[in-house]
Amino acid sequence: TKEERRALRKKKWSTDTVSITGISTNMPSDLTPEQQKIYIKQLEIEEITKRLKSNDLGIPADPTQRSPSPEPVYSSDGKRLNTREIRTKRKLEDTRHQLITQMKELNPHYMPPSDYRAPNVRVQE
Amino acid sequence: PGLHNVQSQATATEILCLMNMVTEEELLDDEEYEDITEDVKEECGKFGPVKSIEIPRPRAGQDASGVGKVYVEFVNLEGCNAAMNALSGRKFANRVVLTSFYDPDLYHRRVFN
Repeated sequence: TKEERRALRKKKWSTDTVSITGISTNMPSDLTPEQQKIYIKQLEIEEITKRLKSNDLGIPADPTQRSPSPEPVYSSDGKRLNTREIRTKRKLEDTRHQLITQMKELNPHYMPPSDYRAPNVRVQE
Repeated sequence: PGLHNVQSQATATEILCLMNMVTEEELLDDEEYEDITEDVKEECGKFGPVKSIEIPRPRAGQDASGVGKVYVEFVNLEGCNAAMNALSGRKFANRVVLTSFYDPDLYHRRVFN
């Protein structure tokens, strides 16, 4: 039923609040749609940057709220290469890279965060 | 913090605009759309009585600037203000939610941008 389905869904609203220095989450109301896009992207890039720096990966404490794990992959010396931490961090870096790429298109003068490096082409898993 | 708050407050209305909330993909899925509407109604209702909700969906040949946003009409300014303070910077489906007040006239004419 609808009630059962809703009960099993992931909780979408977070309980904590994000605050990014210098960018208010109350958006000024006089921005054009283009400026709004840039404003939101800037906020998202800064938020991911902050999380990468503080290693705040947002992995749910409740395992039922997590996605299924893939088969483990190990290096030649037996170290696991695709732990949830590694996968989550990689996903954040990829997302940030995409956002920065879009941002450069919207604003050619955009300067990415100082810790950002454009990714090298990765060896396939 | 800072000037942005002052600016928004100056134009307080009973219409709250929540931005960066939904993706086009989610909006195209009827079940997902229904769930999102419920999630928003439920959460916003904690801060004041909600009169109506509008979640623009992508439509071929139409201006898409409202897509990704959720508009909530509160019965009064107090509810809208309280919801803005509580929801601004919260995350919805892992995206940081931004807020602003929206022009009631545009809302009632169903102009979303």
